[in-house]
Amino acid sequence: MTTSPTDGSTIPPASEASSEPVPPPARRPPTGRKRAGAVLTAPLSWLPLLFLAAIVAVLLYASDFHNFGLSFWGPNWFPDPLDPASASYGVLVFAVGTVLTSALAVFLAGVLSIGLAISLVMFLPGPLARVLALFVDLLAGIPSVVYGIWGYVVLAPYFANDLEPALQSHLGFLPGLGGSSVEIAGGTGLLLAVLVLTLMVVPLTTALVRDSLRSVPRALEESGLALGATRWEVVRRVHLRYARRGIFSAVLLGLGRALGETVAVFMVIGNQVRFPPTLYSGTSTIATLLVGQFDSAFIYPDLLRALVEIALVLFLITLAVNVIGRRFLTDGGLGRIALEAGPEKAAS
Amino acid sequence: MSEPAAPEPAPVLSTEGLSVFAGSREILRRVSLAVPEKKITAVIGPSGCGKTTLIRAMNRMVELSPELRIEGTVRYRGRDIYAPEVSPVVVRRRIGMVFQRPTVFPQSIYENVAFGLRLDREEEDAVERTVVTSLRRAGLYEEVKEDLDRPALSLSGGQQQRLCIARALAVNPSVLLLDEATASLDPIATQKIEEMLRELKGEVSIVLVTHNIAQAARTSDVTAYLHQGRLIEMGATSELFEAPREKLTEAYITGRFG
Amino acid sequence: MTATVDPVWGTDSPRWRRRVAADRYVSYLLPLLFLAVLYPLLDLIYWIGAEALPTLSWRTLTTNPSGFGGGLLAPITGTLYLIAISTALAGTVGIVAGMYTAEFASPRVASLGRLGGNLLAGVPAIVIGYFGYFALVLYTHWGMTLVAGGITLSIFMIPYIYRTADLAFGSVPADQREAAFGMGASRGQYLRRVAWPIAFPRILTGIFIAMAIGLGETAPLLFTAGWNFVPATGLSSQTSYLTGLIWLYYSAPTDFGTELALAFQAAFLLIVIVIALNVIVQLIAERYRRRLRGLFR
Repeated sequence: MTTSPTDGSTIPPASEASSEPVPPPARRPPTGRKRAGAVLTAPLSWLPLLFLAAIVAVLLYASDFHNFGLSFWGPNWFPDPLDPASASYGVLVFAVGTVLTSALAVFLAGVLSIGLAISLVMFLPGPLARVLALFVDLLAGIPSVVYGIWGYVVLAPYFANDLEPALQSHLGFLPGLGGSSVEIAGGTGLLLAVLVLTLMVVPLTTALVRDSLRSVPRALEESGLALGATRWEVVRRVHLRYARRGIFSAVLLGLGRALGETVAVFMVIGNQVRFPPTLYSGTSTIATLLVGQFDSAFIYPDLLRALVEIALVLFLITLAVNVIGRRFLTDGGLGRIALEAGPEKAAS
Repeated sequence: MSEPAAPEPAPVLSTEGLSVFAGSREILRRVSLAVPEKKITAVIGPSGCGKTTLIRAMNRMVELSPELRIEGTVRYRGRDIYAPEVSPVVVRRRIGMVFQRPTVFPQSIYENVAFGLRLDREEEDAVERTVVTSLRRAGLYEEVKEDLDRPALSLSGGQQQRLCIARALAVNPSVLLLDEATASLDPIATQKIEEMLRELKGEVSIVLVTHNIAQAARTSDVTAYLHQGRLIEMGATSELFEAPREKLTEAYITGRFG
Repeated sequence: MTATVDPVWGTDSPRWRRRVAADRYVSYLLPLLFLAVLYPLLDLIYWIGAEALPTLSWRTLTTNPSGFGGGLLAPITGTLYLIAISTALAGTVGIVAGMYTAEFASPRVASLGRLGGNLLAGVPAIVIGYFGYFALVLYTHWGMTLVAGGITLSIFMIPYIYRTADLAFGSVPADQREAAFGMGASRGQYLRRVAWPIAFPRILTGIFIAMAIGLGETAPLLFTAGWNFVPATGLSSQTSYLTGLIWLYYSAPTDFGTELALAFQAAFLLIVIVIALNVIVQLIAERYRRRLRGLFR
């Protein structure tokens, strides 16, 4: 509490609400004696990093360091186990599918979660905000196969019979929304995959954006209001500016999540091996290729090697996206979704 | 209770029976006082006496703490600032506030001062003129005029606080509330701000919350003493410090307790 | 609503009215975005329930899946076994590693450990599945087994428990630490008597969250746990599991057999368990919040 400079006496505990932050816990205790416990537990905390290294090592080993050459990045995917000489393992189609689904889903999820997070932090009364945040978190808990079966059995027929024909006839002039009605087929395809993926990414990005909006110092928010700005103006001019990095990082971590999502996307994307001419068309992603072809690859060494190398590429890309995303993140991220009961909140 | 020395024109800001509750606890107890126009009014009292809550009630900042409940009236030029048709945004435009710690936005010096002006979409050269005048009024212009595009966070603590004052002045308020605005600053920076406030008082009415008794004595024209949420005494600063009418006031200003 | 400027407040310009109106509209309209999230969530829960409940019976839970339908006994037990194995492994590793990171590690090592944990959490499930297949199925010559599935799943769960343990030990209030060390407690005594009781509820929430996540994973298990129409009999037998059953049957024809209904029943069970785990986590977190508030007073 405050000490009066005139007389130096300490004032009895203030009854006014204090805005003093609780000091961070001291990390180092005053005494030493840490040998035994430290030696016993140290290796385990290296385990996550060891796993990462082991994943690279095992995948490299499993690929026999096989070099498919430039055609690996090409557009032709003809795995022909009977005639290895004419087979071709170009992954471009899958890479395009992954980029399209992830980019669209992350864009939608990003826009949506910025709106949701602003509502939660600024506009909704506390109890309602807490309940709504729980529902959004619940979305993160739904298993991906459950999204998949819902998308495949419930949504796909609706997309094929109602939504997509309507989009095609009314918005057909827009790129990706026109094309032949043949493309709609069973409703599975890019559009449905993007939608399902968006729902799966939204909880993560919302939690991260919410955290970074909350990290805006209360004093800055109050200063904006004291200058006669409305809440919305303070959000735009103070919060969004201050939380830029956090929002960027949320989008990147969301992208990391979307790139690797496998099972749900496989169930709703149609799995044709081709560049999708429209948003309704079936296509494939790297992850769906990995899960869909592995069974048949057990006995075809070249296909197996190709899949393993693609898995390695996917691993390295998501790793890079996550590393960059985390660089922009001051705190939060994993586990924050469920761990609302942080000491920093309890103390305030 | 409030009988300042000379008869004076209508106060710019007044409270009538103002109480603030946190649950069942009464932080402010029926405080009635008048803030004279274009003077410096100091609010003093021990920590926890409710002085911060008092000035936060004067521009509706208390409403940001949903756990607080307000009773009584606050009038600005005779108009109830809590009346349903009055927006808090408009109240805060007229009654500005500077906080205990400098709260500059992570932007340039120029953009910090322009913040309030941008809300009204003013012409850029009007903005620029106001930015310069405001920095002058806050006594900061000479120190920063070389590079107004510098990040505001690169300024010293005292400069940042004067920047916050310039930012508040830029929207041309009639009243400026300062909540322990020098508490986090060193003596030299404090002195600069006190000088600047004395120069400002011909233009703006200032309410200065401070736990620094000497500062209140040095700077203010009128002083109010708050104790446990009650207004104990209010009057011309010279009189209050030389001949306090109440025992509690005397005990506090002579340093017998917190 | 006079068009004249108010003499006291001095603001009644069109610009001013636009600003206030914008604030009001945004504060009403922005929260409507929740519909875009809540509607699909409720639709999903509704349809899973509608497809699963009419045929859900005691028999569903007590019989094994057959070729065309049957029950969920084997997948339920399989999921329980897998979660038991992976929680035991990931729990041990995660808690001890988290304790080391928060208590013993130098800041450099601690931040490396945290980075590792965070990055491991970002590895796509299918990549972990590939890793599990080569490392635990092929190179060990175990073949697809319950234990290979359990270990693979635990890799997926470790980061969540590790991080909550790290946070939980790291957030023990400073005065509690100082009081303990001030009375001459050793590190071991401090950890056992002071830190553990404070940290445990929070670690528990991390474990439950990790379980909910592990429960819903499919990709790490597809190539490691195998499949089985009867409950697994040991660590080295293959096993079925709830998510795998959905994966296997989601595209089954509706006019023949009851596999699709069975898949929906599995989905329904998963959702119920996930919601239950989330509720438990919230209850623990709420109690913890209250207790910690007391500690900080």
